[in-house]
Amino acid sequence: MVPMFDSYRFLDGVAKRVMQHWSSLRVATPIPWTPLAKPLSQCTLAIVSAAALASSDRPFDLQIERLDPWFSDPSYRVLPHSTTTGEVQSFHLHINPAFARQDLNSVMPLERLAELVASREVGDSAPSHYSYIGYTLRPKRLLQETVPAIVGRMRQEHVDAVLLVPV
Amino acid sequence: MIPELTVSTGAPRIAAVEHPFGLTVGMPGDAPGQLAVLRATLQALATISEPGSVVDLQLAWNDDATLNTTPPQPPPIVSYLRRHPWAIPRFFNRTPPEPIQSGAQ
Repeated sequence: MVPMFDSYRFLDGVAKRVMQHWSSLRVATPIPWTPLAKPLSQCTLAIVSAAALASSDRPFDLQIERLDPWFSDPSYRVLPHSTTTGEVQSFHLHINPAFARQDLNSVMPLERLAELVASREVGDSAPSHYSYIGYTLRPKRLLQETVPAIVGRMRQEHVDAVLLVPV
Repeated sequence: MIPELTVSTGAPRIAAVEHPFGLTVGMPGDAPGQLAVLRATLQALATISEPGSVVDLQLAWNDDATLNTTPPQPPPIVSYLRRHPWAIPRFFNRTPPEPIQSGAQ
């Protein structure tokens, strides 16, 4: 017998109630849909991680969230496809950043994607991958500035599919 | 992760994996496990035909692992709500107050 998926397995009482309520606050918009135009073995894939991954010389500005806890730095970072563990760290204030520090693939599986490209299961890894802070209750700037910038760059690099990794 | 929450955003294709926060793709160092998640997710990408569909990847999480998945300090919103409990309904309903400073939206 296949056990049922438990979305709230890792949440305590209060957080569980909040997430259940947020899940009920559906936004009534059409779901954007683009059929996959070609086999994965011919697709260029890009990964977007919500883990706030950035290099130490250009970190996310955490003071924004510390001063206004309903908001966070809406910028994004570009991670070249060859980025490895140790070159970036997670600046997300809602998760334990140690896991990404130990193995970037836990939240941004670039090396795993490279392996799938090597085995020809995926056509190619895009030159650029992306990360942002996956927490904000004021998403306006994220949606109006960050997302269009990322999409524009993906189009330039002929990305066929995007994997969004929440944390 | 929380597929119901992702569904509520209108995401076109959702792969559901029952992993702790901060470990979406898998444990550090577990390359086979990470590869299984990625491979199954991409398989879902290739096979989902109905917008908004959720595919349960059915990849078990080892509950025996001793993990600390909490951040080093409470997130700022948690500290804020402890000091300002009257703001909890706003957080619960995702209706934040007006920005403290201009541009901070």
